[in-house]
Amino acid sequence: MKSGEGLKNVKRMSVPFAPVFNWSVGNWMEQFFDGLKQKKILASKCAACGRVYLPPRMICERCFDKTEEWVELPETGTVETYTMAHVGVADNGELEDLPEPQIIAMVKHDGADTCMAVRVDAQDCNVGLRVKAVWNAEPDGVLDALSAYRALD
Amino acid sequence: MEREVAIIGYAQTPYEEDADASREILVLRAAREALASAGLSRDDIGTVITANNDYLDGRTISNMRLVEPSGACLKDESKVEMDGAYAALYALMRLLSGFHDVAMVIGESQASVYPTYAPGVMTLDPTWDRQRGLLNEVSAAALQARSYMNTYGISEEQIAAVAAKNLGNAVKNPLALRAVPGATVEQVMGSRMLCSPIREMCAWPATDGACAIVLAAGDVARKANRAAWIRGVGFYHDSYLTERPLDKMTSLKMAADKCYAMAGIEHPEVEIDLAEISELFAHEELMAYEALGFCAEGKGGEFIDSGATRMDGILPVNPSGGVLAANAVCAAGLARLAEAAMQITGEAGDHQVKGVKTALAHGQTGLCAQENIVYVLGGE
Repeated sequence: MKSGEGLKNVKRMSVPFAPVFNWSVGNWMEQFFDGLKQKKILASKCAACGRVYLPPRMICERCFDKTEEWVELPETGTVETYTMAHVGVADNGELEDLPEPQIIAMVKHDGADTCMAVRVDAQDCNVGLRVKAVWNAEPDGVLDALSAYRALD
Repeated sequence: MEREVAIIGYAQTPYEEDADASREILVLRAAREALASAGLSRDDIGTVITANNDYLDGRTISNMRLVEPSGACLKDESKVEMDGAYAALYALMRLLSGFHDVAMVIGESQASVYPTYAPGVMTLDPTWDRQRGLLNEVSAAALQARSYMNTYGISEEQIAAVAAKNLGNAVKNPLALRAVPGATVEQVMGSRMLCSPIREMCAWPATDGACAIVLAAGDVARKANRAAWIRGVGFYHDSYLTERPLDKMTSLKMAADKCYAMAGIEHPEVEIDLAEISELFAHEELMAYEALGFCAEGKGGEFIDSGATRMDGILPVNPSGGVLAANAVCAAGLARLAEAAMQITGEAGDHQVKGVKTALAHGQTGLCAQENIVYVLGGE
Protein backbone atom coordinates (compact mmCIF):
# COMPACT_ATOMS: atom_id res chain seq x y z
CA MET A 1 0.00 0.00 0.00
CA LYS A 2 2.34 2.70 -1.22
CA SER A 3 0.02 5.09 -2.97
CA GLY A 4 -1.22 6.67 0.21
CA GLU A 5 -4.64 5.09 -0.34
CA GLY A 6 -5.99 3.33 2.68
CA LEU A 7 -3.45 4.86 5.04
CA LYS A 8 -5.69 6.11 7.75
CA ASN A 9 -3.34 8.19 9.83
CA VAL A 10 -0.29 8.65 7.63
CA LYS A 11 0.47 11.70 5.60
CA ARG A 12 2.48 11.24 2.46
CA MET A 13 5.67 13.21 2.91
CA SER A 14 8.60 13.89 0.64
CA VAL A 15 11.95 15.42 1.43
CA PRO A 16 12.25 19.08 0.43
CA PHE A 17 15.35 18.50 -1.70
CA ALA A 18 16.50 16.12 -4.42
CA PRO A 19 18.66 13.47 -2.71
CA VAL A 20 21.56 13.41 -5.17
CA PHE A 21 25.02 12.63 -3.81
CA ASN A 22 28.39 13.42 -5.33
CA TRP A 23 30.80 10.80 -4.07
CA SER A 24 34.47 11.13 -4.58
CA VAL A 25 35.29 7.89 -6.34
CA GLY A 26 38.89 8.03 -5.16
CA ASN A 27 42.03 7.56 -7.21
CA TRP A 28 41.44 3.87 -7.68
CA MET A 29 37.97 4.09 -9.23
CA GLU A 30 39.08 7.11 -11.26
CA GLN A 31 41.87 5.10 -12.82
CA PHE A 32 39.43 2.25 -13.41
CA PHE A 33 36.97 4.59 -15.15
CA ASP A 34 39.76 6.17 -17.20
CA GLY A 35 40.79 2.66 -18.24
CA LEU A 36 37.24 1.79 -19.33
CA LYS A 37 37.20 4.82 -21.63
CA GLN A 38 40.22 3.29 -23.36
CA LYS A 39 38.62 -0.19 -23.32
CA LYS A 40 41.04 -1.37 -20.71
CA ILE A 41 40.10 -3.46 -17.67
CA LEU A 42 42.30 -2.25 -14.82
CA ALA A 43 42.35 -4.05 -11.49
CA SER A 44 44.16 -3.31 -8.26
CA LYS A 45 46.49 -5.87 -6.74
CA CYS A 46 47.63 -6.37 -3.18
CA ALA A 47 51.42 -6.42 -3.08
CA ALA A 48 51.42 -8.59 0.03
CA CYS A 49 48.99 -11.42 -0.82
CA GLY A 50 48.63 -10.94 -4.57
CA ARG A 51 44.84 -10.74 -4.46
CA VAL A 52 43.46 -8.96 -7.52
CA TYR A 53 40.40 -6.77 -6.98
CA LEU A 54 38.01 -5.91 -9.81
CA PRO A 55 36.39 -3.40 -9.51
CA PRO A 56 39.58 -2.12 -7.94
CA ARG A 57 39.62 -1.58 -4.20
CA MET A 58 41.93 0.80 -2.41
CA ILE A 59 42.39 -1.57 0.52
CA CYS A 60 43.07 -5.28 0.77
CA GLU A 61 40.70 -6.37 3.52
CA ARG A 62 42.78 -9.45 4.27
CA CYS A 63 46.16 -7.71 4.56
CA PHE A 64 44.73 -4.57 6.17
CA ASP A 65 46.81 -2.44 3.84
CA LYS A 66 46.57 -0.32 0.72
CA THR A 67 46.62 -2.00 -2.69
CA GLU A 68 49.43 -0.27 -4.55
CA GLU A 69 49.80 -2.26 -7.78
CA TRP A 70 47.77 -2.18 -11.00
CA VAL A 71 47.25 -4.97 -13.48
CA GLU A 72 45.48 -4.90 -16.83
CA LEU A 73 43.18 -7.89 -17.22
CA PRO A 74 41.91 -9.55 -20.40
CA GLU A 75 38.35 -8.87 -21.56
CA THR A 76 37.35 -12.43 -20.85
CA GLY A 77 35.97 -14.07 -17.77
CA THR A 78 33.72 -16.76 -16.36
CA VAL A 79 30.17 -16.64 -15.02
CA GLU A 80 30.34 -17.61 -11.35
CA THR A 81 26.60 -17.28 -10.78
CA TYR A 82 23.67 -15.65 -12.56
CA THR A 83 19.97 -14.88 -12.41
CA MET A 84 17.25 -14.21 -14.95
CA ALA A 85 15.72 -11.05 -13.50
CA HIS A 86 12.03 -10.51 -14.22
CA VAL A 87 11.78 -7.57 -11.84
CA GLY A 88 13.93 -4.60 -10.93
CA VAL A 89 13.65 -1.70 -8.50
CA ALA A 90 11.70 1.22 -9.95
CA ASP A 91 12.39 4.90 -9.24
CA ASN A 92 9.80 4.76 -6.46
CA GLY A 93 11.81 2.10 -4.64
CA GLU A 94 9.34 -0.72 -5.34
CA LEU A 95 9.71 -3.81 -7.52
CA GLU A 96 8.46 -3.46 -11.09
CA ASP A 97 8.30 -5.89 -14.00
CA LEU A 98 11.16 -5.39 -16.44
CA PRO A 99 10.11 -4.85 -20.09
CA GLU A 100 12.21 -7.91 -20.95
CA PRO A 101 13.80 -10.36 -18.52
CA GLN A 102 17.54 -9.76 -18.28
CA ILE A 103 20.45 -11.93 -17.24
CA ILE A 104 22.53 -10.56 -14.39
CA ALA A 105 25.72 -12.44 -13.62
CA MET A 106 28.70 -12.36 -11.32
CA VAL A 107 31.61 -12.50 -13.75
CA LYS A 108 35.11 -13.24 -12.57
CA HIS A 109 37.55 -11.81 -15.08
CA ASP A 110 40.52 -13.99 -15.96
CA GLY A 111 43.21 -13.02 -13.48
CA ALA A 112 40.82 -11.46 -10.94
CA ASP A 113 39.93 -12.82 -7.52
CA THR A 114 36.65 -10.93 -7.12
CA CYS A 115 33.52 -10.64 -9.25
CA MET A 116 31.73 -7.88 -11.08
CA ALA A 117 27.93 -7.90 -11.24
CA VAL A 118 27.17 -7.33 -14.91
CA ARG A 119 24.52 -7.80 -17.57
CA VAL A 120 24.97 -10.72 -19.96
CA ASP A 121 23.36 -10.43 -23.40
CA ALA A 122 22.36 -13.99 -24.16
CA GLN A 123 19.30 -16.19 -24.39
CA ASP A 124 20.68 -18.61 -21.87
CA CYS A 125 23.27 -18.62 -19.19
CA ASN A 126 24.96 -21.15 -16.97
CA VAL A 127 27.56 -21.22 -14.26
CA GLY A 128 30.94 -21.61 -15.92
CA LEU A 129 29.91 -19.86 -19.16
CA ARG A 130 32.90 -18.11 -20.72
CA VAL A 131 32.09 -14.49 -21.54
CA LYS A 132 33.71 -11.43 -23.10
CA ALA A 133 33.18 -7.73 -22.51
CA VAL A 134 31.07 -5.79 -25.02
CA TRP A 135 32.15 -2.17 -25.38
CA ASN A 136 29.84 0.69 -26.16
CA ALA A 137 31.03 2.48 -29.31
CA GLU A 138 29.82 5.88 -28.14
CA PRO A 139 29.28 5.81 -24.40
CA ASP A 140 27.25 8.58 -22.75
CA GLY A 141 29.60 8.53 -19.81
CA VAL A 142 32.27 6.36 -18.27
CA LEU A 143 29.72 4.02 -16.69
CA ASP A 144 28.32 3.13 -20.11
CA ALA A 145 31.68 2.32 -21.69
CA LEU A 146 31.38 -1.30 -20.65
CA SER A 147 27.83 -2.11 -21.66
CA ALA A 148 27.49 -5.84 -21.10
CA TYR A 149 29.06 -9.26 -21.67
CA ARG A 150 28.38 -11.87 -24.31
CA ALA A 151 29.19 -15.55 -24.58
CA LEU A 152 32.58 -16.37 -26.07
CA ASP A 153 32.27 -18.05 -29.47
CA MET B 1 30.04 -15.53 30.97
CA GLU B 2 30.96 -13.65 34.15
CA ARG B 3 27.36 -12.64 34.76
CA GLU B 4 24.38 -14.74 33.79
CA VAL B 5 21.94 -12.86 31.57
CA ALA B 6 18.43 -13.96 30.65
CA ILE B 7 15.52 -12.87 28.51
CA ILE B 8 12.76 -12.32 31.07
CA GLY B 9 10.14 -10.54 29.00
CA TYR B 10 9.11 -10.20 25.35
CA ALA B 11 6.37 -8.87 23.11
CA GLN B 12 5.68 -8.49 19.42
CA THR B 13 2.99 -6.43 17.75
CA PRO B 14 0.90 -8.20 15.13
CA TYR B 15 2.81 -8.04 11.84
CA GLU B 16 0.79 -6.19 9.25
CA GLU B 17 1.02 -4.97 5.69
CA ASP B 18 -0.14 -1.51 6.62
CA ALA B 19 -0.33 -0.92 10.36
CA ASP B 20 -2.81 1.75 11.35
CA ALA B 21 -0.41 3.22 13.90
CA SER B 22 2.61 5.47 14.07
CA ARG B 23 6.01 3.91 14.73
CA GLU B 24 5.95 5.53 18.17
CA ILE B 25 2.72 3.74 19.07
CA LEU B 26 4.01 0.42 17.70
CA VAL B 27 7.13 0.78 19.85
CA LEU B 28 5.10 1.82 22.90
CA ARG B 29 2.84 -1.24 22.55
CA ALA B 30 5.75 -3.65 22.27
CA ALA B 31 7.82 -2.01 25.02
CA ARG B 32 4.99 -1.76 27.57
CA GLU B 33 3.86 -5.30 26.91
CA ALA B 34 7.39 -6.70 27.18
CA LEU B 35 7.97 -4.83 30.42
CA ALA B 36 4.63 -6.03 31.83
CA SER B 37 5.46 -9.62 30.90
CA ALA B 38 8.72 -9.24 32.81
CA GLY B 39 6.79 -7.99 35.83
CA LEU B 40 8.85 -4.80 35.94
CA SER B 41 8.17 -1.09 35.71
CA ARG B 42 9.99 1.67 33.83
CA ASP B 43 11.94 2.54 36.99
CA ASP B 44 13.61 -0.88 36.81
CA ILE B 45 15.10 -0.28 33.35
CA GLY B 46 18.80 0.55 33.39
CA THR B 47 19.54 0.86 29.70
CA VAL B 48 17.54 0.97 26.45
CA ILE B 49 18.92 -0.11 23.09
CA THR B 50 16.85 0.28 19.93
CA ALA B 51 17.38 -1.01 16.40
CA ASN B 52 16.20 1.35 13.73
CA ASN B 53 17.45 2.87 10.55
CA ASP B 54 17.50 6.39 9.16
CA TYR B 55 16.62 5.15 5.66
CA LEU B 56 13.61 3.25 6.92
CA ASP B 57 12.30 6.04 9.06
CA GLY B 58 12.97 8.85 6.59
CA ARG B 59 14.75 10.91 9.23
CA THR B 60 18.21 11.17 10.64
CA ILE B 61 18.92 10.05 14.18
CA SER B 62 16.06 7.60 13.90
CA ASN B 63 16.04 6.81 17.62
CA MET B 64 14.97 10.40 18.16
CA ARG B 65 11.38 10.41 19.40
CA LEU B 66 11.66 6.72 20.21
CA VAL B 67 13.02 7.71 23.61
CA GLU B 68 9.51 8.32 24.96
CA PRO B 69 7.79 5.13 23.77
CA SER B 70 10.77 2.92 24.61
CA GLY B 71 10.86 4.11 28.23
CA ALA B 72 14.30 5.67 27.79
CA CYS B 73 13.62 9.20 29.05
CA LEU B 74 16.60 10.32 31.17
CA LYS B 75 18.11 6.85 30.99
CA ASP B 76 21.19 5.30 29.48
CA GLU B 77 20.09 4.93 25.83
CA SER B 78 21.67 4.05 22.49
CA LYS B 79 20.82 2.38 19.17
CA VAL B 80 22.20 0.18 16.45
CA GLU B 81 21.42 0.74 12.80
CA MET B 82 21.29 -2.98 12.13
CA ASP B 83 19.06 -5.90 12.93
CA GLY B 84 17.59 -5.95 16.43
CA ALA B 85 19.57 -9.07 17.29
CA TYR B 86 22.58 -6.72 17.37
CA ALA B 87 20.68 -4.33 19.66
CA ALA B 88 20.31 -7.31 21.98
CA LEU B 89 24.07 -7.88 21.73
CA TYR B 90 24.75 -4.28 22.69
CA ALA B 91 22.32 -4.59 25.61
CA LEU B 92 23.93 -7.87 26.67
CA MET B 93 27.33 -6.17 26.76
CA ARG B 94 25.92 -3.32 28.86
CA LEU B 95 24.60 -5.85 31.38
CA LEU B 96 27.86 -7.84 31.34
CA SER B 97 29.69 -4.61 32.17
CA GLY B 98 27.99 -4.78 35.55
CA PHE B 99 26.64 -1.24 35.33
CA HIS B 100 23.05 -2.26 34.70
CA ASP B 101 20.74 -5.11 35.69
CA VAL B 102 17.85 -4.59 33.24
CA ALA B 103 17.89 -3.70 29.55
CA MET B 104 15.03 -2.95 27.18
CA VAL B 105 15.72 -3.92 23.55
CA ILE B 106 13.44 -2.85 20.70
CA GLY B 107 13.40 -3.22 16.93
CA GLU B 108 10.78 -1.68 14.68
CA SER B 109 10.01 -0.64 11.12
CA GLN B 110 7.10 -0.04 8.78
CA ALA B 111 7.61 -1.01 5.15
CA SER B 112 4.32 0.70 4.33
CA VAL B 113 6.06 3.99 5.08
CA TYR B 114 9.31 3.70 3.14
CA PRO B 115 10.13 2.67 -0.46
CA THR B 116 10.53 -1.05 0.23
CA TYR B 117 13.64 -1.84 -1.83
CA ALA B 118 15.39 1.55 -1.72
CA PRO B 119 17.28 0.89 1.54
CA GLY B 120 18.79 -2.30 0.05
CA VAL B 121 19.96 -0.40 -3.03
CA MET B 122 21.52 2.20 -0.74
CA THR B 123 23.72 -0.50 0.83
CA LEU B 124 25.41 -1.21 -2.53
CA ASP B 125 28.88 0.08 -3.36
CA PRO B 126 27.89 3.59 -4.51
CA THR B 127 30.57 4.11 -7.15
CA TRP B 128 29.91 1.00 -9.21
CA ASP B 129 27.12 -1.43 -8.29
CA ARG B 130 24.59 1.23 -7.41
CA GLN B 131 25.33 3.09 -10.64
CA ARG B 132 24.81 -0.04 -12.75
CA GLY B 133 21.27 -0.57 -11.44
CA LEU B 134 21.47 -4.36 -11.61
CA LEU B 135 21.76 -5.42 -8.00
CA ASN B 136 19.05 -5.13 -5.39
CA GLU B 137 18.02 -7.35 -2.49
CA VAL B 138 16.17 -9.80 -4.74
CA SER B 139 18.68 -10.08 -7.60
CA ALA B 140 21.57 -10.32 -5.13
CA ALA B 141 19.81 -13.10 -3.22
CA ALA B 142 19.10 -14.83 -6.54
CA LEU B 143 22.82 -14.82 -7.36
CA GLN B 144 23.48 -16.33 -3.93
CA ALA B 145 20.78 -18.99 -4.42
CA ARG B 146 22.07 -20.02 -7.85
CA SER B 147 25.63 -20.22 -6.58
CA TYR B 148 24.57 -22.48 -3.69
CA MET B 149 22.39 -24.68 -5.92
CA ASN B 150 25.14 -25.05 -8.49
CA THR B 151 27.88 -26.00 -6.03
CA TYR B 152 25.84 -28.54 -4.08
CA GLY B 153 23.17 -29.76 -6.51
CA ILE B 154 20.27 -28.27 -4.57
CA SER B 155 16.91 -28.24 -6.40
CA GLU B 156 14.33 -25.48 -6.67
CA GLU B 157 11.83 -27.86 -5.06
CA GLN B 158 14.07 -28.22 -2.00
CA ILE B 159 14.17 -24.42 -1.67
CA ALA B 160 10.41 -24.22 -2.18
CA ALA B 161 10.01 -26.78 0.62
CA VAL B 162 11.42 -24.23 3.08
CA ALA B 163 8.77 -21.69 2.09
CA ALA B 164 5.99 -24.31 2.22
CA LYS B 165 7.09 -25.40 5.70
CA ASN B 166 7.46 -21.90 7.14
CA LEU B 167 4.33 -20.37 5.60
CA GLY B 168 2.41 -23.45 6.75
CA ASN B 169 3.83 -23.10 10.28
CA ALA B 170 2.78 -19.44 10.32
CA VAL B 171 -0.87 -20.51 10.39
CA LYS B 172 -0.34 -21.34 14.07
CA ASN B 173 1.28 -17.98 14.81
CA PRO B 174 -1.47 -15.37 15.31
CA LEU B 175 1.02 -12.50 14.84
CA ALA B 176 2.30 -13.64 11.42
CA LEU B 177 1.60 -11.48 8.37
CA ARG B 178 1.80 -14.21 5.70
CA ALA B 179 0.38 -17.60 6.59
CA VAL B 180 -0.67 -20.16 4.00
CA PRO B 181 -2.81 -23.03 5.33
CA GLY B 182 -1.53 -26.33 3.99
CA ALA B 183 1.14 -24.63 1.86
CA THR B 184 2.67 -27.03 -0.66
CA VAL B 185 5.86 -27.12 -2.71
CA GLU B 186 3.71 -26.99 -5.87
CA GLN B 187 2.00 -23.84 -4.63
CA VAL B 188 5.36 -22.17 -3.94
CA MET B 189 6.72 -23.28 -7.31
CA GLY B 190 3.65 -21.75 -8.95
CA SER B 191 4.15 -18.34 -7.37
CA ARG B 192 5.47 -15.48 -9.50
CA MET B 193 9.13 -15.63 -10.54
CA LEU B 194 10.97 -12.50 -9.37
CA CYS B 195 14.61 -13.27 -10.21
CA SER B 196 15.31 -16.91 -10.98
CA PRO B 197 15.37 -19.07 -8.91
CA ILE B 198 13.61 -16.79 -6.40
CA ARG B 199 9.83 -16.79 -6.46
CA GLU B 200 7.48 -14.50 -4.62
CA MET B 201 6.69 -17.02 -1.86
CA CYS B 202 10.44 -17.58 -1.32
CA ALA B 203 11.08 -13.89 -0.60
CA TRP B 204 10.31 -11.86 2.53
CA PRO B 205 7.06 -9.91 2.64
CA ALA B 206 7.07 -6.13 3.21
CA THR B 207 5.99 -5.81 6.83
CA ASP B 208 5.10 -3.34 9.57
CA GLY B 209 5.76 -4.32 13.17
CA ALA B 210 7.79 -4.10 16.36
CA CYS B 211 9.43 -6.51 18.77
CA ALA B 212 10.73 -5.83 22.29
CA ILE B 213 12.58 -8.01 24.76
CA VAL B 214 13.70 -7.39 28.33
CA LEU B 215 17.12 -8.68 29.34
CA ALA B 216 18.12 -9.01 32.98
CA ALA B 217 21.23 -10.01 34.87
CA GLY B 218 22.03 -11.21 38.36
CA ASP B 219 19.35 -11.32 41.03
CA VAL B 220 16.71 -9.68 38.82
CA ALA B 221 17.04 -12.54 36.37
CA ARG B 222 17.04 -15.23 39.07
CA LYS B 223 13.86 -13.85 40.66
CA ALA B 224 12.04 -13.28 37.35
CA ASN B 225 8.69 -14.80 36.34
CA ARG B 226 10.48 -16.63 33.58
CA ALA B 227 13.97 -16.84 32.17
CA ALA B 228 15.54 -17.97 28.92
CA TRP B 229 19.24 -17.78 29.70
CA ILE B 230 21.74 -16.60 27.09
CA ARG B 231 24.31 -19.43 27.01
CA GLY B 232 26.33 -18.19 24.09
CA VAL B 233 26.60 -15.62 21.33
CA GLY B 234 28.79 -15.28 18.26
CA PHE B 235 28.87 -12.75 15.44
CA TYR B 236 31.04 -12.28 12.36
CA HIS B 237 31.15 -9.98 9.36
CA ASP B 238 31.87 -11.24 5.85
CA SER B 239 33.20 -9.45 2.75
CA TYR B 240 31.09 -7.38 0.35
CA LEU B 241 28.99 -9.65 -1.81
CA THR B 242 31.10 -9.48 -4.97
CA GLU B 243 34.26 -10.29 -3.03
CA ARG B 244 33.27 -13.55 -1.34
CA PRO B 245 32.02 -16.98 -2.36
CA LEU B 246 28.22 -16.83 -2.32
CA ASP B 247 27.67 -20.58 -2.15
CA LYS B 248 28.24 -20.77 1.59
CA MET B 249 27.70 -18.63 4.68
CA THR B 250 31.20 -18.41 6.08
CA SER B 251 30.50 -15.69 8.63
CA LEU B 252 27.46 -17.57 9.93
CA LYS B 253 29.54 -20.71 10.39
CA MET B 254 32.19 -18.77 12.29
CA ALA B 255 29.51 -17.08 14.42
CA ALA B 256 27.95 -20.44 15.22
CA ASP B 257 31.29 -22.01 16.12
CA LYS B 258 32.05 -19.12 18.49
CA CYS B 259 28.59 -19.29 20.02
CA TYR B 260 28.73 -23.08 20.46
CA ALA B 261 32.15 -22.87 22.14
CA MET B 262 30.74 -20.35 24.63
CA ALA B 263 27.61 -22.42 25.23
CA GLY B 264 29.53 -25.68 25.51
CA ILE B 265 27.76 -27.24 22.54
CA GLU B 266 29.70 -29.93 20.70
CA HIS B 267 26.99 -31.59 18.64
CA PRO B 268 24.50 -28.90 17.61
CA GLU B 269 22.36 -31.30 15.58
CA VAL B 270 21.67 -33.28 18.76
CA GLU B 271 21.96 -30.69 21.51
CA ILE B 272 19.81 -27.96 19.95
CA ASP B 273 16.09 -28.65 20.25
CA LEU B 274 14.77 -25.84 18.07
CA ALA B 275 16.01 -22.96 15.91
CA GLU B 276 14.57 -19.65 14.76
CA ILE B 277 16.53 -18.56 11.69
CA SER B 278 16.44 -15.27 9.75
CA GLU B 279 15.74 -16.67 6.28
CA LEU B 280 15.09 -13.54 4.25
CA PHE B 281 14.89 -15.84 1.26
CA ALA B 282 13.99 -19.52 1.43
CA HIS B 283 17.36 -20.86 0.21
CA GLU B 284 19.11 -19.08 3.09
CA GLU B 285 17.49 -21.47 5.55
CA LEU B 286 19.09 -24.43 3.77
CA MET B 287 22.46 -22.67 3.73
CA ALA B 288 22.02 -21.91 7.43
CA TYR B 289 21.36 -25.60 8.26
CA GLU B 290 24.85 -26.28 6.96
CA ALA B 291 26.58 -23.28 8.51
CA LEU B 292 24.97 -24.02 11.88
CA GLY B 293 26.16 -27.62 11.75
CA PHE B 294 22.66 -29.13 11.70
CA CYS B 295 23.78 -31.18 8.70
CA ALA B 296 26.96 -31.65 6.67
CA GLU B 297 28.13 -29.12 4.06
CA GLY B 298 26.02 -29.39 0.93
CA LYS B 299 23.33 -31.48 2.62
CA GLY B 300 20.81 -28.70 3.35
CA GLY B 301 18.47 -30.01 0.65
CA GLU B 302 18.50 -33.56 2.01
CA PHE B 303 17.98 -32.20 5.52
CA ILE B 304 14.73 -30.44 4.60
CA ASP B 305 13.63 -33.49 2.59
CA SER B 306 14.12 -35.65 5.70
CA GLY B 307 11.45 -33.68 7.56
CA ALA B 308 13.88 -33.00 10.43
CA THR B 309 13.04 -29.29 10.55
CA ARG B 310 9.26 -29.62 10.46
CA MET B 311 7.32 -28.66 13.56
CA ASP B 312 7.16 -32.37 14.48
CA GLY B 313 10.72 -33.14 13.35
CA ILE B 314 13.84 -33.77 15.42
CA LEU B 315 15.05 -30.17 15.03
CA PRO B 316 12.13 -27.85 14.26
CA VAL B 317 13.21 -24.67 12.45
CA ASN B 318 11.02 -21.57 12.36
CA PRO B 319 7.83 -22.87 13.98
CA SER B 320 6.79 -19.18 14.05
CA GLY B 321 6.91 -19.05 10.26
CA GLY B 322 10.24 -17.25 10.31
CA VAL B 323 11.07 -14.17 8.30
CA LEU B 324 9.17 -15.46 5.27
CA ALA B 325 6.02 -14.99 7.37
CA ALA B 326 6.93 -11.51 8.66
CA ASN B 327 9.95 -9.28 8.13
CA ALA B 328 9.74 -6.01 9.99
CA VAL B 329 13.28 -4.89 9.13
CA CYS B 330 15.34 -4.22 12.30
CA ALA B 331 12.85 -6.32 14.30
CA ALA B 332 13.20 -9.61 12.39
CA GLY B 333 16.27 -11.07 14.11
CA LEU B 334 15.14 -9.77 17.49
CA ALA B 335 11.83 -11.56 16.90
CA ARG B 336 13.80 -14.78 16.35
CA LEU B 337 15.34 -14.25 19.77
CA ALA B 338 11.91 -13.58 21.33
CA GLU B 339 10.46 -16.65 19.62
CA ALA B 340 13.33 -18.87 20.77
CA ALA B 341 12.84 -17.57 24.33
CA MET B 342 9.09 -18.23 24.13
CA GLN B 343 9.81 -21.83 23.13
CA ILE B 344 12.11 -22.26 26.15
CA THR B 345 9.57 -20.81 28.58
CA GLY B 346 6.69 -22.76 27.05
CA GLU B 347 4.76 -19.65 26.07
CA ALA B 348 4.71 -20.03 22.28
CA GLY B 349 1.00 -20.91 22.22
CA ASP B 350 -0.24 -22.87 19.22
CA HIS B 351 3.21 -23.08 17.68
CA GLN B 352 4.84 -24.34 20.90
CA VAL B 353 7.16 -27.31 20.39
CA LYS B 354 7.28 -29.71 23.32
CA GLY B 355 10.33 -30.16 25.49
CA VAL B 356 12.53 -27.31 24.19
CA LYS B 357 15.48 -26.96 26.57
CA THR B 358 18.05 -25.46 24.23
CA ALA B 359 17.10 -23.11 21.38
CA LEU B 360 19.07 -21.20 18.75
CA ALA B 361 18.25 -17.77 17.33
CA HIS B 362 19.88 -16.18 14.27
CA GLY B 363 19.87 -12.63 12.95
CA GLN B 364 21.49 -11.14 9.85
CA THR B 365 22.24 -7.76 8.32
CA GLY B 366 23.44 -6.81 4.84
CA LEU B 367 23.06 -8.10 1.30
CA CYS B 368 23.34 -11.89 0.98
CA ALA B 369 23.60 -12.22 4.78
CA GLN B 370 26.88 -10.32 5.02
CA GLU B 371 26.80 -10.21 8.85
CA ASN B 372 25.45 -12.94 11.06
CA ILE B 373 24.77 -13.31 14.76
CA VAL B 374 23.86 -16.50 16.59
CA TYR B 375 22.53 -16.99 20.11
CA VAL B 376 21.99 -20.16 22.09
CA LEU B 377 19.37 -19.95 24.83
CA GLY B 378 18.78 -22.44 27.62
CA GLY B 379 16.23 -23.12 30.33
CA GLU B 380 16.89 -23.50 34.03
